[in-house]
Amino acid sequence: MKRLAAFLLMLVLLTGCAPKQVSTTVFAMDTVMKLSVYGDEAVLDEAEALIHQLEAQVSVTREGSELYSLNHTGSGTVTGHAKELLDRALALCSRTDGALDISIYPVVRSWGFTTGEYRVPDEEALASLLSHVDYKKIDFDAGSGAVSLSPDMEIDLGSVTKGYLSSCLIALFRENGITSALVNLGGNVQALGTKPDGSLWQVAVQDPKNDSYLGVLSIADQAVITSGGYERYFEEDGKTYWHIIDPATGAPAQSGLISVTIVGTDGTTCDALSTALFVMGLENAADFWTASDDFEAIFVTEDNTVYITQGLQDSFTLSEDHSKMELQVITRD
Amino acid sequence: MISTKKWVAIIGVILLLSAGAALYLSFRGASGTVANVYQDGKCIYSVDLSEVEEPFTLSVSCEDGTNTIAIEPGRICIQDADCPDQVCVKSGWLKNSASPIVCLPHKLVIRLENSPDSANTIDAVAK
Repeated sequence: MKRLAAFLLMLVLLTGCAPKQVSTTVFAMDTVMKLSVYGDEAVLDEAEALIHQLEAQVSVTREGSELYSLNHTGSGTVTGHAKELLDRALALCSRTDGALDISIYPVVRSWGFTTGEYRVPDEEALASLLSHVDYKKIDFDAGSGAVSLSPDMEIDLGSVTKGYLSSCLIALFRENGITSALVNLGGNVQALGTKPDGSLWQVAVQDPKNDSYLGVLSIADQAVITSGGYERYFEEDGKTYWHIIDPATGAPAQSGLISVTIVGTDGTTCDALSTALFVMGLENAADFWTASDDFEAIFVTEDNTVYITQGLQDSFTLSEDHSKMELQVITRD
Repeated sequence: MISTKKWVAIIGVILLLSAGAALYLSFRGASGTVANVYQDGKCIYSVDLSEVEEPFTLSVSCEDGTNTIAIEPGRICIQDADCPDQVCVKSGWLKNSASPIVCLPHKLVIRLENSPDSANTIDAVAK
């Protein structure tokens, strides 16, 4: 009888072992974020606090943020996560040889993409704004966090913040003993581990041309971040202008690509490269991938061909209604 | 001192109850037709779309305005809203658990809850 009691008790304890899913929705950084973790609900409060803290530091529109005062006085100090983020962002500007440039902000604003009051800027004004765009002229001391900008320069970390944030959230969950979680920061997705039953997370990639899924990625412990012209754009005189600006021209990037998805373990890298490789175009982006070892990519071109890098061959499948699309594999040889 | 027999009985009852609850929950969730309406992250309304017989509307107000939600047998959408961007209205009927309807200005989200039994469920959409 005692054995039976022990056995039953063990059963009770076993059923209590599988952590249940808890999730929360957070409105921050002009988007909606969903955090789902298998574990203790308390960690979600900590995660939410982290999101609001980072936003308060790096928002370019919020008076009193570290970035706001830097942009308005030309110099300042960034601390904690903002310092780490600026350091990472500058390294990625340099790694992509300026295809990503955090000082493009005044140009993006002149197109109205930051406010929604879209317009094609006057050519002369654009040329003048563009002459101040150069991340190399940002004087940053990674030790003290002291930053000074060249005159008329302003910076925005929006192209890397959500990727950085998703990596920070995953790290926070891991520190709290969680082994399974998924964060979706307005379409920037990052997973911790696998689903609790050991199966892979299924992350769909948006079709840049319509409201359906291009295909599905099966992932674990990775971030999936997409940049596409469809996310924010306006039309004027029959031309479409989207929010991804080429720092070389100051105009929306016309590289032949309409969407770039980056898959990798580091959210910051994925976020930055999704924008930078969109700007580079397929050929340069493929070369960039060949020379790298920390990410894989999915490209969609204007003529509706899908290119995936070698490492995604087994993890990416076109969705059923897209199975007739041409799928090319980019290899290193 | 409680006898071993009683312990067996107590644990047995707990097991039966939890097994029953688990069965009930998995059965209830299997349809994947429960839509939840969240305002600023809090669930304020829940509806099983498979049990809706007559179409009806639901008004949700916040400081910044109002969204009118249309609920019909098997489907739900935001029919009307006084938000500036109208993204929520334009997104149409709620399609699946991975793509919620979002009204960012009013911090309103309508989400189809995941059906836990389906292995092919999309967990998120990268966009």
